[in-house]
Amino acid sequence: MNMKKLTYLFIIPMAMFALAAFRPVAGKLISKAGHINFFSHTSLEDISANNYKVVSTLETTTGNVAFSVPMQGFEFEKALMQQHFNSKDFLNTKDFPKAKFEGKITNISDVDFTKDGVYEANVSGNLTIKDVTKPINEKGTVTIKGGVLNAKTKFKLVLADYGITFKKGKPSTNVAKEIEVTLDADYQSE
Amino acid sequence: MTKKKIIKVALIVLAIGITGAGSVAYYMFNKPHRDVQSSAIDFTLNGSALVQEYLTDANAGNQKYLAETGDSKIMAVTGKVHSISRDKNNQLVVLLKEDGDKAGVSCTFTAATNPSAEKLTAGQTVTVKGVIRSGAGYDADLDLYEDVILEKCDVLN
Repeated sequence: MNMKKLTYLFIIPMAMFALAAFRPVAGKLISKAGHINFFSHTSLEDISANNYKVVSTLETTTGNVAFSVPMQGFEFEKALMQQHFNSKDFLNTKDFPKAKFEGKITNISDVDFTKDGVYEANVSGNLTIKDVTKPINEKGTVTIKGGVLNAKTKFKLVLADYGITFKKGKPSTNVAKEIEVTLDADYQSE
Repeated sequence: MTKKKIIKVALIVLAIGITGAGSVAYYMFNKPHRDVQSSAIDFTLNGSALVQEYLTDANAGNQKYLAETGDSKIMAVTGKVHSISRDKNNQLVVLLKEDGDKAGVSCTFTAATNPSAEKLTAGQTVTVKGVIRSGAGYDADLDLYEDVILEKCDVLN
């Protein structure tokens, strides 16, 4: 083997390593372990549920974002509440196992993906719960830190908008008409 | 029996009845979550086959495996460990996926069962027991195949 060949043998892996190590946050990013919490407050009771199986994608060039939420992954403190939540009267998760969001970070150009920072993001798109789709416009934050992109948002959701209404019984008094949804997701390159 | 005695007995019965009903209601309201690991296995199958079943007919899969109460079927799924990661609740997530398959089975462990996931290594074939939360499928908005989701998992010996 001549010297030239040997040099290439070293340079190519080194270059590949450097590219991998300094790859900026860009392109299609995936989050497979996001956290969604929803919180319902009434004078009678506070109800909270957590889900750690949210899958999401974020395209850094277009700002396109999508979320898929496996509804049976919401965990409540009380088993009975969890069963009510899943039932036909509430979210009917057997027939509609996933909630979806697809939309855009409309000001994605404000985010500098090459350096650490916190950016305010305007998110606009369609949320589908239980086969009912409604447009939503909310604010969130995008944080770039050490090559990881984190997205957070907190917004209010009116249950009746998605056909979730309680006419009588405990749910009609103990579940808020408007619940608070908090989302936290870390993204990585594909 | 005198009238007084009858009333007394009736009152006692009523008191017991109310206490009983109250206890049942209280128990129902505070009943604990189903313990997946100590519950019986409903389906034993290969991860690849489960994924394929969902890709072929997702609705049929949902009707077969998901329960209206959310206490869905308890599965024992065998597959190859593709990767191990950690979620935001500090639970380990073991992805079972065969090379060449479009999707796998994403198994979330618990604080109590994390140690058994820690012992696993990529490439190893393992059987995991857990409750199914959702099936596999292609999502056009995400532009990717979603994995079958199992939670409350542990390694089955």
